[in-house]
Amino acid sequence: MRRKDDLGHWWTAGGMERAVIRIVRRLSPGFARRRITKKTRLHQDLGWDEWYVLRVAKPIRTTIHVGLEDRVVLAARTVGDLVGRVWNAMGGPA
Amino acid sequence: MLGALATSAAAGQPAPIGRWELLIGHSYSSARALMQPATLTLEKVEGAPLYSVLDVGALVRGSIAARSWLETGLRARAGSARTPSQRVFGAMARVYRELDPVLVAVGGEYQADGGFDVHALDATAELTPLGGLPGLGTWVSPAVHLRWRPWIGAAVGDGVRPYGRLSADWVQGRLEAGVEESLWLVSGSGRSFVKGDVSLRLVAGISVTISGELGRSPPTWEHTGRAGLGLGFRLAPGD
Repeated sequence: MRRKDDLGHWWTAGGMERAVIRIVRRLSPGFARRRITKKTRLHQDLGWDEWYVLRVAKPIRTTIHVGLEDRVVLAARTVGDLVGRVWNAMGGPA
Repeated sequence: MLGALATSAAAGQPAPIGRWELLIGHSYSSARALMQPATLTLEKVEGAPLYSVLDVGALVRGSIAARSWLETGLRARAGSARTPSQRVFGAMARVYRELDPVLVAVGGEYQADGGFDVHALDATAELTPLGGLPGLGTWVSPAVHLRWRPWIGAAVGDGVRPYGRLSADWVQGRLEAGVEESLWLVSGSGRSFVKGDVSLRLVAGISVTISGELGRSPPTWEHTGRAGLGLGFRLAPGD
């Protein structure tokens, strides 16, 4: 299954998931890359505070081309949550 | 393979978000304060009645645009152990705008003392960097669970009061500790208020909390200092 980003590019679920995880890894210096998976909790495992999580919004806009509402980002509890919310915000399946 | 990945994305369906959400904590006065548990402390001194100390704030949050949201709330710093002039009741509304690399908040707040003798109505504007320095908004390292966050701003009411706020949190398992220092410039002189807490989480949202405060805070700027042990309660999306 594939979905379109806001610019009309097609993404597979796996490709989008890897892109989101790359963004989270870049914002988590010092953490072993393999430790960050879909199950990783943003607040408890990575120690992000309420506002730090907003740092994912801009790279998601610029690299995955999906504009998530900030409140949707604030509500994300895990990396998998973010992946699901980006996927849900993409256009319909091919 | 693609089907399996698509299924995995679908399986991780995030919980739907309501149009509005309710948060309850120590106070809405800052994100740090809201994440501190609301506390009820009872103090008994021989020969005196039972005293109470209550610190609680409630906040309702909802979207107004893709990169903006609105918060409105009430708070109380009360209890019979505090004199009426040391009690604070407040209400506020503020709008946040994410402008990565900073977050900006503008709003208005009404505050009164316990006897409603002193009132203050202020417009506020403040900002914080989202991150970018070690420990700013995120743990210093995977081994050191310490983080900090600064805010700078100004309140405009009967005069202009620039202020700064610095908070720090440390988390280790069920134990959390935090401190928040606020500094105001009022009519050319500095005022400071610091509060801190150490909480041991019993179950989600409920903790035993030691809390303390020292300094002068609006609207009366009366000097206060106290520490106590009580029951903490917090309602936040993560709890």
